[in-house]
Amino acid sequence: MSTGPNRVLGLELARFRYSGASRDTLSGINLSLAPGSLTVVLGNSGSGKSTLGAVLAGMLPRHDGDALDATLHLAGQRIHHRPGAAVRIDPVGWARQVGLLPQDARHYLSGVRATVAEELALGLENAGVPRAQMHRRIAALADRLELHALLERDPAQLSGGQERLVALAALALDAPAVLVLDEPLAGLDAAVAARICELLDRLRSGGTALVLLARAVDRLAAGADTVLALREGSCHELDTAVPADAAPVAPAVRRAPGTRDEVLLGFSGVGIGYPGSARPVVEGLELTVRAGECVGLAGPNGSGKTTVLKAAAGLLCPSAGQVRGKSLAAGTVGLLLQNPSDQLFERTVAREVAFGLPRRGPAAARIPAVLDSLGLREHAQAHPYELPASSRRLVALATVLVREPEVLLLDEPTEALDADGLALLHAALAAVLDRGGAVLLATHDEAFMAATAHRVHRMGPAVAARVRDRTGGPG
Amino acid sequence: MPRTCRLHPFTVLALAAAATATTVAAGRWWLSVAVLLACLLLAAWARRARRLAGLAAAILAPAFGSQLLIHSMADTAGGHVLAAAGPLRITAEGLATAGALGLRTGVLVVAGLLCTLLVDRHDLVAAVDLSPAPPQLGYLLAATLLLLPALEQRQRAIGQAQLLRGATPGGGPRGWFRRVRLRSVPLVLGALQDAADRSAHLAARGFPAAGPHTRLREVPDSAAQRRVRRIALACIVLGPVAVLAPTWAGAA
Repeated sequence: MSTGPNRVLGLELARFRYSGASRDTLSGINLSLAPGSLTVVLGNSGSGKSTLGAVLAGMLPRHDGDALDATLHLAGQRIHHRPGAAVRIDPVGWARQVGLLPQDARHYLSGVRATVAEELALGLENAGVPRAQMHRRIAALADRLELHALLERDPAQLSGGQERLVALAALALDAPAVLVLDEPLAGLDAAVAARICELLDRLRSGGTALVLLARAVDRLAAGADTVLALREGSCHELDTAVPADAAPVAPAVRRAPGTRDEVLLGFSGVGIGYPGSARPVVEGLELTVRAGECVGLAGPNGSGKTTVLKAAAGLLCPSAGQVRGKSLAAGTVGLLLQNPSDQLFERTVAREVAFGLPRRGPAAARIPAVLDSLGLREHAQAHPYELPASSRRLVALATVLVREPEVLLLDEPTEALDADGLALLHAALAAVLDRGGAVLLATHDEAFMAATAHRVHRMGPAVAARVRDRTGGPG
Repeated sequence: MPRTCRLHPFTVLALAAAATATTVAAGRWWLSVAVLLACLLLAAWARRARRLAGLAAAILAPAFGSQLLIHSMADTAGGHVLAAAGPLRITAEGLATAGALGLRTGVLVVAGLLCTLLVDRHDLVAAVDLSPAPPQLGYLLAATLLLLPALEQRQRAIGQAQLLRGATPGGGPRGWFRRVRLRSVPLVLGALQDAADRSAHLAARGFPAAGPHTRLREVPDSAAQRRVRRIALACIVLGPVAVLAPTWAGAA
């Protein structure tokens, strides 16, 4: 770590506590970032990574009782925060030095611009950059990230991975001295992830200091100068020679597919489009999912994986072909959406899981067992939004599992899950397959796909997908 | 696909305001009918005639009904009684008053609705941003105009999530009320949470701008349009004055 004048950001944090909390979220953290450095902060969900990112980005403490005891060094200034005497931060001035990509990239997008190009330009517009210069900079960035196809799209209609890509691009366009990135590669396909890694490498060689908040060392974190482990709010330095494939590993081994031939879900010649779009998102889809089988959906961001899952759940009607299957007719299909916020709307975890269930039915009786199986019993009376991201995803999973779906549909299920959460997810999948159900999942997490899927269905943009049997592949 | 209007939003608004002000001040039924027909023709050109008719009917039917109740059925001043039942009297004068007021209201509503159908809301926000108006006005306008589509999208997501969990509100008025009850609380709470989550990032990106700012979006404009706007603004003031001045002079 860098000390002295050759640093763009320094943090000496004694402690940070949220307003109304009974314990400190962060304590005893020292960071010093040199230009062009890569610092990786590893931690499980709930360890305080996102809080640390918000402190570095000047978004915490808020002026309603958060207590921060810390000194920050930024752009030649020394900023002292003391509990009860937090310094008022100019958010724009701070953001010119430190940019933050939040864990949910949707929060970075403004929601007030019509196209991706305008969304990218928002920061430049507010800084008064002339239009011609904005066009030049956006075109150069679009060349580098192959974003041209997205520039005229409505930001509200992007897939989860595309949202992350656009948010990252907008941050890169504003070119702050420090970039704090909360799981930047989550939900991105391999090609986009490679372009992001290349962009970040280029920014780094141009002097941008990167702070990567992650659950495990991934390909981006492999070249880190410093690796810190965040446990219960405190940092410990790790050996930087951590292998690049040290992502949370699937603890369960993929089981052999079931021997039953019963088709639980089938797509024949299915085409699905959205109103107003010129071309269907999915065309000529042929796919069957049998009892005891786990099928993976793979493909680039925006290739229609979520659309297929929504059609399988009966939320979208195909414009061509037919979605059939015993489970669909019986209504025993459960879908875990990519963003748990889309699926959670009650004020406690227990109410959330019980929503829509008959009070005296067998499903309601299963609630305690489902909460136990996902490690959520102690959070039963907590508000879902107050939980760490990993637990929030498990709550969304619990709302699906409590109905014992015959076909379980999962959209990027490992996003934001920590190692414990991943183990619980594997156990849940095994339980569904063991009782004769089936799983159809869409994910960019190749390790998870390899550990769980018996077959992988590769999708391209509006192109009939091809099936590649991986039954005999490495497990 | 609806046709969009490649005019500066202020031009459309200024023309609509001038036509409305002059027509309402003139109070001539034939002028009101002509403006209403012109609005319908423009809507038909934009392929939004059905939407304009539907929205206008939803607003004007109760408004016109109340005019009829007040001025026509309970008229006490008119001499030409067409029908009477107890305290209720339908008079020719009352009907004429209700019709005239209804037409004026119609012009106001239909012209306003036509503006919302013709003007691209993103163009309008950009036009305000690029005008000398305070940046907070653009922010307020953006938040107001774009909140509804965002809420619509969010309520659809909530509806899907609830559908997945077996919540089927059913059809008819009972189903509608049940759907509103199920979705409204999570919709409001979700919107508040979303606003809280986004606000720090918006502030960090300098939104709303505190100083000089630019926009990537180009709002169509020209010297001719600027002249039209100036003339329309003059009409907003001078049109009613020109129409009403003879009346005032006669009264004096």
